[in-house]
Amino acid sequence: MSNNDLIVGLEIGTSKICVVVGETRPDGTLKILGVGQAPSRGVRKGEIVDFETAMKCVHEAVVDAEQKSDVMIRSVYVAVAGGHIQSFNNRGCVILPEERDEIDDQDVEDVKISAREVSIPAQNAFLHSIIQHYHVDGQDGVLNPIGMLGGKLEADFHIIHGVRTRIQNTIRCVKELPLEVEDVVFSALASAQVVLTQHQKNLGALVVDIGGGTTDYILYVDGAVKQSGALAIGGDHITNDISMGLRIPMARAEKLKTEEGSCVLGNCLPGETILLKDDSGFAGKEIERETLNTIIHLRLRETFELLKRTVEEEPFINYVGAGIFITGGCSLVNGIDHLAGEIFEMPAHVTHAQTLSGLTSAVENPQFSTAIGLLKYAQAVQVDRPRRGITRIFGRFFSGMR
Amino acid sequence: MIQLSKNYSLPERQEEPIPIKVVGVGSAGSNALDRVLLDGMDKADLIAINTDVQSLASSVATRKVQLGRSSTHGLGTGGDPELGYQAAIESADEIRQAIAGARMIFICAGLGGGTGSGAAPIVAQLAREAGSLVIAFATLPFSFEGKRRAAQAQDALSRLNEIANAVICFENDRMGDMVAPKAGIHQAFGIADMTISQSVRSIVNLIQRPGLIRIGFDDLFAALRSQNGRCLFGFGESDTDNRAHDALTQALKNPLMDKGRMLSEAAHVLVQVAGGPGMTLSEVEILMRELGRHVRDHTQIVFGTAVDGKMGNRLSVTIISSLASEDSIAAQDTSPPSEPFLAPPPAILEQVEEPPPAPPAIDIVPETESEASPEPAPDDLIAVEPPVAAEAPPPPVPAPAPSIKKPAPRLIPPKKKPVVEKEAKPPKEKPVQAKQEVLQFEPVTRGRFEKSEPTIVEGQDLDIPTFLRKNIRVK
Ligand SMILES: Nc1ncnc2c1ncn2[C@@H]1O[C@H](COP(=O)(O)OP(=O)(O)OP(=O)(O)O)[C@@H](O)[C@H]1O
Ligand SMILES: Nc1nc2c(ncn2[C@@H]2O[C@H](COP(=O)(O)OP(=O)(O)O)[C@@H](O)[C@H]2O)c(=O)[nH]1
Ligand SMILES: [Mg+2]
Ligand SMILES: [Mg+2]
Repeated sequence: MSNNDLIVGLEIGTSKICVVVGETRPDGTLKILGVGQAPSRGVRKGEIVDFETAMKCVHEAVVDAEQKSDVMIRSVYVAVAGGHIQSFNNRGCVILPEERDEIDDQDVEDVKISAREVSIPAQNAFLHSIIQHYHVDGQDGVLNPIGMLGGKLEADFHIIHGVRTRIQNTIRCVKELPLEVEDVVFSALASAQVVLTQHQKNLGALVVDIGGGTTDYILYVDGAVKQSGALAIGGDHITNDISMGLRIPMARAEKLKTEEGSCVLGNCLPGETILLKDDSGFAGKEIERETLNTIIHLRLRETFELLKRTVEEEPFINYVGAGIFITGGCSLVNGIDHLAGEIFEMPAHVTHAQTLSGLTSAVENPQFSTAIGLLKYAQAVQVDRPRRGITRIFGRFFSGMR
Repeated sequence: MIQLSKNYSLPERQEEPIPIKVVGVGSAGSNALDRVLLDGMDKADLIAINTDVQSLASSVATRKVQLGRSSTHGLGTGGDPELGYQAAIESADEIRQAIAGARMIFICAGLGGGTGSGAAPIVAQLAREAGSLVIAFATLPFSFEGKRRAAQAQDALSRLNEIANAVICFENDRMGDMVAPKAGIHQAFGIADMTISQSVRSIVNLIQRPGLIRIGFDDLFAALRSQNGRCLFGFGESDTDNRAHDALTQALKNPLMDKGRMLSEAAHVLVQVAGGPGMTLSEVEILMRELGRHVRDHTQIVFGTAVDGKMGNRLSVTIISSLASEDSIAAQDTSPPSEPFLAPPPAILEQVEEPPPAPPAIDIVPETESEASPEPAPDDLIAVEPPVAAEAPPPPVPAPAPSIKKPAPRLIPPKKKPVVEKEAKPPKEKPVQAKQEVLQFEPVTRGRFEKSEPTIVEGQDLDIPTFLRKNIRVK
């Protein structure tokens, strides 16, 4: 097997590091060869805070993936997240020269550059410019303008950017391993590639990836990305709340959350308790189940309400027809779909990467959505690449990627 | 006189942190320990030691030692220090194991009950024998708890004073003054736990923060050790344009500082200034000059600075000081701690710490520069943006905001207590001011999020549990 067909996705998450090795088939399908994992240390809220430690963990996960998939990993697509990531929509415009009236791919390239002629904070760097729609001489809804006749090409883009040094931190962590970084991808954009079908993107959908440290979201309307971003709140906050509220150590709060937790209120018998066994052999501590659920509920409700206020700053959420798709480890909290559905007043679904070839049920876990999504993203980009032949980390555009 | 103490005892930045263990003895001690942990402590190991298994089971500490399995059968001491003492003797081996390997042991205990009063001195003793340096944080009971408890507490306090390298003591009666009269006793204990947690964390930070000019253990103890048992403590932090002045003012206003008045009686003043890479020498100089106005000429000021990338624009000042007894201002630091009653290894301090080389005059420029620009650590890269926290950190104190009527706890001289009380209760204090002083003592409860940038949205610190911010009671 030639290494060219291999694609590797790496997520340096707050809770776990995940490396997915895949292979693209001549028929365009994607097969997953193996998944490597390691617990993550030195990462908080989706960002590396302890470089050395994080690097060790990434190394561990990469070695694991190499063993599981029996390939040598040389380069990876890396997901980035964190509260610093922001986005906006902008329109670019190019006027064709007098002597020419057929739009070519240079015009398409130029219109993207023009869309980026907008100021972002000095310390920020562009991460993605995702095409929404082209307009030729005012005609809307053009999908591919190349070859069309016209005098003016306009294009709407969704532009994602983040703090340069933080993105570079992630890249540096991978490069020092050493591994090559093919590209960095905003994690929700990656997740959406496997969580949503094209049909759902067309209907309009909001993907929410709630991990250990961040809640990343991306919103599609009419098949195009309209909004995206990240809140620096995640499962760690739930665990920390439980630890403080019940006065138990973080490790036990984490266990309690995943094994017993729910965000549904009023579902417990009066006085129903959970007996917390003490590993040091002392008498156990009794925890009231409703109390546990209340702590989880309050945090998740607040997070969804904040997310709702955030997306409602623009009108797009009103055009979401397929509903909310929740993924990431915290989507496993019992009742989270009902809570999200109630707050957003639309259908909400818990979801994971939809089956790809070779994907065993083991990876049908919402915690892997981002890493698997990277493969789908890479596949779309690689189809695009030979034509363009650009491999800069920042400042590249993809027309095929939506 | 300003005297600098060179870095002769604390390790370089790259080296391992100094092994510190914080031990909570008895139920009060273990509650205070929980608070230390919940407030975020990743630089020290926490150990709960108790006779009462119920209290042990609910402790957050990772390591627990049950005292007196066969003498108290897991039931506690019923308030009898003799039982606490026996139980600790019975479990001495387990205590030794738990505290082994620590350079410093901090002991937290509520004196007056059975376990804290009886066992804490033994724990201190075993720690000294193992070669550790010991600082005790103790509370004295409320007067309404009765004469017997008060006497038991005084007894235990004097034993601790003999054994520990330093004792920092808070009077519960004064904690009581810090909460509204109608507030329950639990709130008062909550304040006590918080104050202990703040002082423990400040001292741990003082020791663990990579310092430019480091403070040696002996300086620390000289400042904490007090002939008449009184200790002053202040902490201030600021990110304003005038942050050096503001942080100092805040530290001096701390209730434990007695508004800076007592500082003029101090024999030693230990000052630690921490700031981000932007901290300048002139800021430190301004601060030291200003502080100089609050102390007498012959007071020894020992100070250390630390550059900490995580501080961002903030600058913090920690002041720790002992008061000279009236008759021994000249004798000051030269006297070592009095001999412990069970004769622990006497020369620990001298053995571990090389005496400082002849103290130079202020000359911190070269050192400041050599360490102020370390190779770009990830921390530094991450801290490119000014920390949002500084804008609006609401005090994350779980207990309902206390309304405080007067400045409060201090190191108590067991014998001269009445005098102190008189001095400490001037009628002119403003309650609101005092409340702020307490709450601002240390800005944010970070817990798991210690190393991350705070998540501030719509003016709220979302790292603080939702139920706390929404004031919803969970128990
Ligand atoms: N069964 C479960 N119930 C509730 N929560 C769960 C469950 N399983 C995992 N989690 C939580 O999911 C979170 C981890 O999710 P995930 O692996 O998606 O995060 P991550 O990718 O490491 O972090 P991030 O993307 O935020 O940096 C943890 O907070 C964990 O407690
Ligand atoms: N700081 C604090 N002090 C307490 C608390 N509970 C009791 N105390 C005080 O500590 C003293 C000792 O009580 P306790 O620790 O319960 O007794 P012990 O376990 O036998 O040592 C009491 O007399 C109170 O003054 C608490 O939760 N926090
Ligand atoms: Mg994730
Ligand atoms: Mg995430």
